[in-house]
Amino acid sequence: MNSSKIIIALGIVLAAVLIQTTVFQHIQPFGYAPALGLLAAIATSRYLKPEPALFVAFSGGFLQDVLGGSPLGLWACTFTVIAFVTLKIRDREIAGPLAVLAGVFGLTFLGQLTYAVLATLFGQGIIGRPGLIWDLLVPSLYNVILAYPVFWLTKSAVRPKERAWVA
Amino acid sequence: MLPSGKRLDRATALFISLLAVGFLVATFDVRASGDSATTVLRGGVQELAEPIQGGIDFLVRPVVGFVDGVSNVAGLRDQNERLEAEVQRLEARLRETAALERRVAELEAISDLAPPEGLATVTARIYSGGTSTFDQVRFINKGSSDGVIAGQAVIDESGLVGRVDLVTGSSARVRLITDPLVSVGVRIQDTNQTGAVTGRGDDVLQLDMFDATAPATEGAVLITDGSRFPPGVVVGFIRETREANVGFALRTTVDPAAAFSELDFVKIVVGWSPLDADPESGDPLIEPPPSIDPGVDIR
Repeated sequence: MNSSKIIIALGIVLAAVLIQTTVFQHIQPFGYAPALGLLAAIATSRYLKPEPALFVAFSGGFLQDVLGGSPLGLWACTFTVIAFVTLKIRDREIAGPLAVLAGVFGLTFLGQLTYAVLATLFGQGIIGRPGLIWDLLVPSLYNVILAYPVFWLTKSAVRPKERAWVA
Repeated sequence: MLPSGKRLDRATALFISLLAVGFLVATFDVRASGDSATTVLRGGVQELAEPIQGGIDFLVRPVVGFVDGVSNVAGLRDQNERLEAEVQRLEARLRETAALERRVAELEAISDLAPPEGLATVTARIYSGGTSTFDQVRFINKGSSDGVIAGQAVIDESGLVGRVDLVTGSSARVRLITDPLVSVGVRIQDTNQTGAVTGRGDDVLQLDMFDATAPATEGAVLITDGSRFPPGVVVGFIRETREANVGFALRTTVDPAAAFSELDFVKIVVGWSPLDADPESGDPLIEPPPSIDPGVDIR
């Protein structure tokens, strides 16, 4: 994998974070927005080699930290954890659309939960908030809806080898 | 070599290293104050990202407005009927409050109280929101070059929105009052009882009153007490009535006055800062009123 693919993947994650802060500020069905940056990190981790995937995820998370209101590094750690889990499960012999949907839902949910725990440890008081479960569930469902276009775009841009659990 | 004997592969080593870096940066950022390296980094990146985010926002806003308009057509008739009924109710209430307003105006004149509307403000547009569901922040297109500094209050036509907590040359970050890190000193307008409103991370605020002697009644208006925000700004309305019991804190929930999902333009109150607060009373801008003969009817 050459460096241009890594730069393109990085561009996809960074664009996702920028879209998250602008487009999904206005479009929030039922008061929730998808976790697009996290979804882009999952997609790039699916198609990149392990080291570049972790680097891209960390960088995207760091941008999300900088453009958000939480302490720097928390989303970077979260994205890195999710990229690592994605790398570990991407070669499993599970195939079909349901596996994609379940994988995206589970990883997004895990990512948001990881962030909630980390942010609470760093004094942001997220665990224990009223309605936390919806904050975790609804963006995960939205990510499931957005998974195919984002995966298709990432796959087209990075041109990976076929993987088992993604169409 | 790991204790298990398995060799640590490169990806795992990088993963652990990145996590360590992330934790270090987070720790440094939480402990840093003032113009730390992380604050400078945030400011620099936000200055770079602001034109891009502003451009995307400029392109998306009309499309979203059009889609919203189309999707709302079906509900317009019902909404119209509800609004007509609401207008009739409000007209009746307006007549009742007209007399009260005259009395308030005279009271303000007596105490030389400057209403919040009299403070210098800067109008700003929100160009970006938080990066996740957990973020209770908004970014505005006015910064230090417009006189904005950290700590200033941000309001809209409905009431208090939040406070500025990070400023660059041309933009600033506003932390909403729904954030658990933000606490607002308030008083109930009717009873003058004081308390503190804290964000819960959702659309409802929490009111705590530690020395209340009167109940907090549903619908009562909460205004800022002037300790951290300019006095007299509407914060919200009490959701549930709670009685005051001696020896116990009164706790209830509050509907914020501002509609945070519909924020577009806001005003930053640049003419007041927490340093203006009177340290003795915690009540800025409100000079002690001249002694009034209780027998005199100020109406």
